[in-house]
Amino acid sequence: MNNLHDLLLAKPFGDPAMELILFGSFALHLLFVLLMLGTAMIAVFFFAHSWITGYRFELRWDKRVLRIHLALKSLAVVLGVAPLLIIQVLWSVPFLTAASIMAPYWLGLLGLMIFAFLSLDILGHKMDVHPVRHLIFGVLGLAALVAVPAVFTAVLSLMEHPDKWSLVAGRGFAAEPGLLFHWFMRYLHILGAAALFGGAFHYFFSTNGAQERHYHLSHWMVVATLFQVVAGMLLLVSVQERLTPAVITAVTVGVFAAMLLLGLAFYRNPEVDKRRMASVLVLLPVILVSMLLARQFLQHQAVAPMQAQLETRAREARQSLAPLQAAALQGFQAHLATVYDNGETIYANSCAFCHGQDGGGHGPEAASLIIPPEKLNAVRAQRRYLYQVVLKGVPGSGMPYFSVFDRDKLDSLLEYMNASFSLTAPPQPPAKPGDLAAAKRVFAGTCATCHGEQGQVSAFGADLRPAPPDLTRYGLTPQWAYAVITQGYNGTVMQPFNDLPEATRWGLVSLVASLRKEP
Amino acid sequence: MLFPTFYLPWLGQGMSIALVAVVHVLISHGFAIGVVSIIVLLEHLALRRGDAELEGLAQNMLKPVVIIVTAVGAVTGAGIWFTVSVLAPGGIGYMLRVFFWPWFIEWMAFTLEVLVLLPYYFLWERMRAKQAGLHVALGWSYVAVAFASAFLISGILGFMLTPDGWVQNQRLVSAFFNPTFWPQLALRFLGGLAMGGLWSLAFVLFSRRIGADLRQRVMRLLGGWVLINGALCALAVWIYLGRIPQTYATHKIFAVLTSHLSQDAWLLWLGNILAALCIAAVALAAWLRWRRVALALIIPALILTAGLVSEFERAREFVRGPYLMPGYMYANQIPLAQSDYLDKHGFLAGAAWYQPQPPGLAPRAPAGHALFMANCGVCHTIGGLNDIRDRLKGRTQPSVTVMVRRTKQMVPFMPSFSGTPAEALTMAAYLYELSGERRSLEAVPPISRKGVGHE
Repeated sequence: MNNLHDLLLAKPFGDPAMELILFGSFALHLLFVLLMLGTAMIAVFFFAHSWITGYRFELRWDKRVLRIHLALKSLAVVLGVAPLLIIQVLWSVPFLTAASIMAPYWLGLLGLMIFAFLSLDILGHKMDVHPVRHLIFGVLGLAALVAVPAVFTAVLSLMEHPDKWSLVAGRGFAAEPGLLFHWFMRYLHILGAAALFGGAFHYFFSTNGAQERHYHLSHWMVVATLFQVVAGMLLLVSVQERLTPAVITAVTVGVFAAMLLLGLAFYRNPEVDKRRMASVLVLLPVILVSMLLARQFLQHQAVAPMQAQLETRAREARQSLAPLQAAALQGFQAHLATVYDNGETIYANSCAFCHGQDGGGHGPEAASLIIPPEKLNAVRAQRRYLYQVVLKGVPGSGMPYFSVFDRDKLDSLLEYMNASFSLTAPPQPPAKPGDLAAAKRVFAGTCATCHGEQGQVSAFGADLRPAPPDLTRYGLTPQWAYAVITQGYNGTVMQPFNDLPEATRWGLVSLVASLRKEP
Repeated sequence: MLFPTFYLPWLGQGMSIALVAVVHVLISHGFAIGVVSIIVLLEHLALRRGDAELEGLAQNMLKPVVIIVTAVGAVTGAGIWFTVSVLAPGGIGYMLRVFFWPWFIEWMAFTLEVLVLLPYYFLWERMRAKQAGLHVALGWSYVAVAFASAFLISGILGFMLTPDGWVQNQRLVSAFFNPTFWPQLALRFLGGLAMGGLWSLAFVLFSRRIGADLRQRVMRLLGGWVLINGALCALAVWIYLGRIPQTYATHKIFAVLTSHLSQDAWLLWLGNILAALCIAAVALAAWLRWRRVALALIIPALILTAGLVSEFERAREFVRGPYLMPGYMYANQIPLAQSDYLDKHGFLAGAAWYQPQPPGLAPRAPAGHALFMANCGVCHTIGGLNDIRDRLKGRTQPSVTVMVRRTKQMVPFMPSFSGTPAEALTMAAYLYELSGERRSLEAVPPISRKGVGHE
């Protein structure tokens, strides 16, 4: 049930209102996206056109187009905030799942947009001085810009096909030719719409009545509309199984308006009728709204049932989680009250579960480890040596590194451990010195293999995991040293030497204590 | 695993979000708030004094700012959200619901910001003759809207560190006006103004189109501006730090220095003091009109400022440790109560996107890998930044198991493992194998392990 957060249940208001706001804010966003894209297409196309034909007649116009692009793109970006917010709340799981599946492309949007915007700004800067250079930037910028809706349409197409998610997640879009076709038509339809809306926008708002531009742009609009007819029909084919009366009505209205627009643009007669052409400004919003309505109906159909199912399960999740909330909150308050800035807290939380609160090496996790945790209250070592052990851990054992704590904290920890377990107290010789001569012989013959002749770890010992401690800097209380010599140290190559005479073992304890150097 | 979360290889989730965020903060604070405020101020002064040259300077500064703010600033701002949407979908999904209204109003603020900035930029020439006063007013209203949008964002950012009362009462007002709200708003706005002063100073120092006399006057103004705003910003930072719960604040050294340098805290203080001194020195030099000194110091000062911004954002994001939303959700996007539920009922049993056998993984790995990515993948990578194999180097298999059970207790900024004890074992076994320790033990020739017999 971990796929069920109670996340879906926190909603600012009801779904119908959310869908309405989604529709409105998306329409506004898309309008500016289309105008921006169309403007970029027109800017690059006409700049290239006038440069190729050698007829550098309207650089001022091109510059104006690009200034408008800067304004449109700024609005397109900020207006996207509301629809993105609402779709991520209204249809969290479908949208975020689709975006996650497309993640590499989705993240690529950032680079594409920044590159596109900067390149098109460069196109507008001193374009009359270096036309070729600027044209290259313009073409590259436009290429990046038209790639942006490709990603968005892919995410939305995928979102509307929950049954295809796992297949696409595993094998990519190519595994689903039907979805691929739908996405591609949807993408082309956006590009066509951008060309049409951009063309109409500049026809009315940037030409300042220049006949030549009007002539070019009305042709541009005719071509864009015809393109839309073809791409639109193919797009309809790709969703034919999902068509409902509502969708068909909306599309019919849109198509009718588009046909009117085509007629107006095609039979344009500049001499006769300015007002007739102005009715294009009414037709365009009609087309935009009706087509977007069709889109919204289809989206609702595809996603709403799944969302309802998810919300039912989220309600179940909330019920199963309800009894756990109070304890979770208490745990949080406890964590908030525990400040890891002093040795006592750090030892109790980070060390005691192995080494035991009393430092005896019998914390609750000690039994899980093959190599028993160090019996800290028996350790007598140099402070700097201990610091290194705590800082870097002991490779080959369960002792991890603790550089997660800064120097002050580790110092405080060592202070605390020293106060509690006398870790840095000087080594004591045992009460009975034992057979020192025998001990020296055994040490040189056996112990020195790993511990080194003077107690400094031998080259061989240093290769062991865990390596033996440096006896010149580290020691144990006599009793514990005797116990380790006698019983060995589990999980390490320190084996039991209980077959040695007791006096030799005590001798070894004395010898080892004498190896330890101050402080 | 509500979502098929994408894990960015090498860089990891946190660092990717941080990179986009820092670029955005540098631009949105430094340019959109800072430089534009200075431009409006200069225009205002020019109008009052009838100083056409000063007005020309203000206008010259605006073009690059508009291009940077609209092309990079706005896109990286949306970019933080885009990045988080796929790298931490569970977290953003919940944040958007808690903060729906501030976010929605923020949309209006952003739109208004653009709607005011564009005419301020495009209509400068046209309004110069008859509507110069109106143009300045347009500029000031832009600054006001920019402040409003910083206001909204501060509430959301502050909540993520100090949700305080919201944890109990779930009320938006508690969430928004949280303990760090005011100091954070102040430090972001003042920091933006100070940064804007430095950027403007760089423009004035390097620009060749500006007369020597004007340059001197503006240098003096900007020097004072940076000194005052910088000092006030430092004060706001100090108040801000005081409002952070001690549990979090104590991680700030590690947050910046990481385990590589955590033992050398002096580096942090040295860096910060050097940065502060360098910024103060360049501001003082500008105030005293020492152009050469200012020229020599301005680039280092800008770089150090970017460093300070990164340091602040990194610490702010990191110190809240195991939580994405303190009191509600762990950093790995598992809500606290749900984590307890999963401990009893199992993680993989209900995971929507868990595939028992994804391509390219060894047969035993999928369960362990899925558990690792869901539990730890938000901070740790395999083979990249904060590589889990480095973290486990040298550990024995049982100790990896113990650490998995004890993460949150052992390291105060790690969340606890979500899943049953059996799942903890599965993940520990996977991680142990991943850490390569098994191989390194086997690589040791057997003789060296047996050769320690005694006579």
